[in-house]
Amino acid sequence: MYNFLQRLSGITSFAMSTLMALAVVIALTTPFIPSSPSHTLTLQNVQTTTGRMVDPFDKQSRSAEYARLTFDLDADLTSMLNWNTKLLFAYLTVDYMTDEFNTNSVVIWDRIIRNERQARLKLRRHHNKYLLRNFAKTFEGVSPANLTLYVNPVPYLGIMYDKPLTSVGFQIPRPVKSSK
Amino acid sequence: MELLKPLFESGRIDFQGQDLAGSLATALLALSATVSLGVGFLQKTLSMTFYVYAIGVLLTYLVVLPAWPFFKRNQVNWLPRRTIGAPALVDSPNQPLSRKTLVEDVSDDNDE
Repeated sequence: MYNFLQRLSGITSFAMSTLMALAVVIALTTPFIPSSPSHTLTLQNVQTTTGRMVDPFDKQSRSAEYARLTFDLDADLTSMLNWNTKLLFAYLTVDYMTDEFNTNSVVIWDRIIRNERQARLKLRRHHNKYLLRNFAKTFEGVSPANLTLYVNPVPYLGIMYDKPLTSVGFQIPRPVKSSK
Repeated sequence: MELLKPLFESGRIDFQGQDLAGSLATALLALSATVSLGVGFLQKTLSMTFYVYAIGVLLTYLVVLPAWPFFKRNQVNWLPRRTIGAPALVDSPNQPLSRKTLVEDVSDDNDE
């Protein structure tokens, strides 16, 4: 520290170490910020049809059972937006068990929430954004399912995690065979 | 680079001043980290934390980097230079200091 350059070098490296400590403190204290989101999830209707993906380039597509959900979602996630939140990733999954696999978790709807206006969700009679199809191409012998709302807060500094908020149980129906 | 050498070698301060500069820098940086954390949290903006911290670092530079007079209050009083005896060679006790010597012998074995 005996001349200008020595002091510049030493103090700058200590400043960078302190900056890193600051970032670590911010990342570690973020989970302790209290958040109280309100949520109401209602499942209106589930219907299953047998169909085939219309893709002219996929010659091997087989017909499978696809389920379509109609749901209402009311949520106020503004309390989850703290100073360290970059965005919230809210998504709905359908979880069920089969004989073949113990855990089946299909994301059927998601949304990215960036500010307070988008955090107030009011969905009426929404359908699933993504197709719900069992791995075995049929829903035969599938256990009762749960429609769960998860929110994943993506921080600027820190670790991401999934936070389950609410869950609705239902049974995935088999397609109705209509005779024409 | 030779032209820049006077700039880089400038800003000398004495030993007490160096201790003071180090302590002052540590305290000021810890303080700006704490203050920036508080300001950012209260303003609910993460970028505010880092802007305030950057300003704090610049303020620390302003206080510690230039050779202010309060860093030079305890100058070391070096003793005056005295004539040095030659290294202990048995056959020539008064050999003058060779220009090729890298390290001066400052022992007073050969004085008087």
